[in-house]
Amino acid sequence: MAEYELDCMGEACPLPLMKAEKKIKDLASGDVLIVHIDHSCAMKNVPEWARSQGHNVEVDEVDDGEWDVIIEKA
Amino acid sequence: MKKVWENISKNRYYKMVFKNPFTYITGAVLLSITQIALFAYSGNPWGVSGTLANWGAWIYELFGGSVEKWYYFSSSGAQATLNAGILNHSGTMLNVGIVGGALLATLLASQFKWKKIKSVKQIVAAVLGGLLMGYGARLAGGCNIGALFSGIASLSLSGWVFAVFLLAGAWIGSKLLAKFFM
Repeated sequence: MAEYELDCMGEACPLPLMKAEKKIKDLASGDVLIVHIDHSCAMKNVPEWARSQGHNVEVDEVDDGEWDVIIEKA
Repeated sequence: MKKVWENISKNRYYKMVFKNPFTYITGAVLLSITQIALFAYSGNPWGVSGTLANWGAWIYELFGGSVEKWYYFSSSGAQATLNAGILNHSGTMLNVGIVGGALLATLLASQFKWKKIKSVKQIVAAVLGGLLMGYGARLAGGCNIGALFSGIASLSLSGWVFAVFLLAGAWIGSKLLAKFFM
């Protein structure tokens, strides 16, 4: 159950989504990927994509305009 | 006082209207209603990028230039708009409203943040992309609002033609994005 982080601060859509899609391939089932974002549309499209893939997703608002999208690979 | 704000931030209607993003359907319905209202009120369909060309002309005139002989501004209508000045330009008010409204929305949701520029690459891409989009929008006679959204809303075939080429451009753009930023 490893934990990975992906820093997407300061990156506009659709880069956070593209990076998360690429990174999740390195994970084993049960591993967790935490994506740091500060672009509000990524707060919508990253969780939507992850849920559509069947992963467990939680979004944590860490500060004004900053979120952690926590994805547990299915 | 802090307690009051905390209560507001937990309020279900505050969350629904200001905090959580609207669904695509809600957004589409609101956009449709407001663009009909705008069309009924002003007699013109909604557009964004044509105004930016006018801003360019006004800035050029500010520095003593003249665009009278430029083909793009040569019609009497375009000249009348330029001569009436920026304060009487409804498109300018709409664009300022977009920026002001976006700022207000992000403040109301407590999501305002100054973002860092990560690399020079981001600046180069933004400037090149902006120039290409602006130039392309003028050649096409509209952007994704004036030509696509208002075009399709007017039941014009041109809006759908625009959509096909916009998708082609977006596909090429996404390939470039993957090549230079991934």
